[in-house]
Amino acid sequence: MKNIQSHYDQQISRSALWSGAVTVVFLLSTLFIPTVSLAVTLSGDSSTYVQSREAADSSKILRVYEYLDFSVQNMGNETISFHTGGWLRYDLKEEEFGHKSANDLQYSYLSFKSKTDNTVVNLGRVMVFEGVAAERVDGLYARSDLMAGFGISGFGGSPVETGSDMPGNNVIYGSRLSHQYGDVYRIGISALKEEKDSQDYRREEGIDIWVHPIEKVDLTGRSSYNDVTKGWMEQSYALMLGPFEKLRLNGTASWIDYDNYFFRTTMSAFTLQSGLIQPNEKVRALGGEASYPITDQVLIAVDYKNFTYDIAGKADYFGGKVKYSVSGSGGAGISYHAMVGDTDKLKYNEYRIYGYKKFGHLNVSADLIDVAYVNAINGVKDSYSASLAAQYELAEAWKLGADVAYSHNPDFDKDIRVFFKVLYHFGAKGGA
Amino acid sequence: MNTVKTKMVILALLTMLFGIYACAHTASRAMQHPVELTTAPLCSDCHQDWRSAMDHTGDYLKRHRFYAQQQTQTCETCHKESFCSDCHAHKEELKPSDKFKDSVERTMPHRGDYLNQHKIDGRIDPASCMKCHGRSNNERCRLCHK
Repeated sequence: MKNIQSHYDQQISRSALWSGAVTVVFLLSTLFIPTVSLAVTLSGDSSTYVQSREAADSSKILRVYEYLDFSVQNMGNETISFHTGGWLRYDLKEEEFGHKSANDLQYSYLSFKSKTDNTVVNLGRVMVFEGVAAERVDGLYARSDLMAGFGISGFGGSPVETGSDMPGNNVIYGSRLSHQYGDVYRIGISALKEEKDSQDYRREEGIDIWVHPIEKVDLTGRSSYNDVTKGWMEQSYALMLGPFEKLRLNGTASWIDYDNYFFRTTMSAFTLQSGLIQPNEKVRALGGEASYPITDQVLIAVDYKNFTYDIAGKADYFGGKVKYSVSGSGGAGISYHAMVGDTDKLKYNEYRIYGYKKFGHLNVSADLIDVAYVNAINGVKDSYSASLAAQYELAEAWKLGADVAYSHNPDFDKDIRVFFKVLYHFGAKGGA
Repeated sequence: MNTVKTKMVILALLTMLFGIYACAHTASRAMQHPVELTTAPLCSDCHQDWRSAMDHTGDYLKRHRFYAQQQTQTCETCHKESFCSDCHAHKEELKPSDKFKDSVERTMPHRGDYLNQHKIDGRIDPASCMKCHGRSNNERCRLCHK
């Protein structure tokens, strides 16, 4: 097993190395190609976090994280840009996972965006969201408009996944063909295939839609099919109605077949052999939310979701909230939700109250969450956590923040967590 | 023979796609939203077309995946890649609600003590966990889920 994991780690390392190489090449190109260097716009965000807490085995954890997001735009041509982001962590006290540090390259790609046809080509470590594909890939992603409302996209490369234990080559590729008719509908068909050691690991196909048949009515959703197990994985749709005099009504409906849906995972908890996921189970979930702004500053909302299982029975989740907000100044909120599963072990009531206020350059916020279990867990019936946070804007580019959270829960009698952060933005502004 | 046929079909499809592409001539969407939006927007306040369906109402988090799978480019008009990777990460160790504890007004998963509650939610609706954690997880997950 260790050899298999080691092999996987080597694959991950190769993938990371490949994406890293793309990063280095393009950073160097901005330095050594004069015409490019003169034209580029650099921007980025550095977020330094220090977290202090206690681990489950009572050891003291003190960690520093550095998140860096960096973009190079207008590389001699406004259609070419480069984006990279990742983090590294260093343990200042005890090690929780047997090693002092960890890191991850989240994304790193060279991007071409055409001024016409919505053509995009991304090369490197890219995130792909296209129909059935919600993947992170070391490779290529491209899309473009075609004529008469059609569009096409495709991707291919090495999948970036955590903890896979399959040896051999790793390849993933897929495509989506779509058609949009003005403001009336958009429909797409998509497919992906993932191979490990030259065996079909995943083969998925899907249909995604958005329909706007009449004013104030929108329907969107997706159906996906597992072509390896030959069964539907998921049907999931959302209906949005309104606003009718500011009242909005939204509904969701989904159906999931566990045998097909949980077919491939790198997390043991989601395998059908884990004992946590019931084989042959199918679940239908129906939900809805109604929201209404009483004034420009106060909004009330109620929501409900029902789960019906073929084997396990039923569960309901419902509640409501009231939110108050004054743009640029502050706000508050209060909510209640209940989860009612088929046994007392699967029942709880959740209460939350929060508030935030801006005082000049200082933002402060407070949050209290209480979860009351119907059945006590480890002798605890009420699990609550309270947090206080403050953030100060030193300058336009610099922000300092700190928060402290106190929690009493089934795993910790008294859990105190402290978190510091230093945020720095450089270069051009724009985008969340 | 099958290989030749497959190649011919692929070549024909590529030729057809090139022909269709050459005739598209649509103007690309703005690469950046002309107005910086600091709070969750109601797109319908300004847009009366298909974009009005993307109003970021309170329950938008639950259905944002439907728009992302069809309209990534529209998301990119306002959001940088890091906005997605704040939550949709590969080996992320920090909960989004820990990184943004001061943003109490934002809808964010796993606030408070979720270590214990995930045992209940995971039994009732494991499919909702699978979407983010099925093939992207971290060492803390594997401390228990070996």
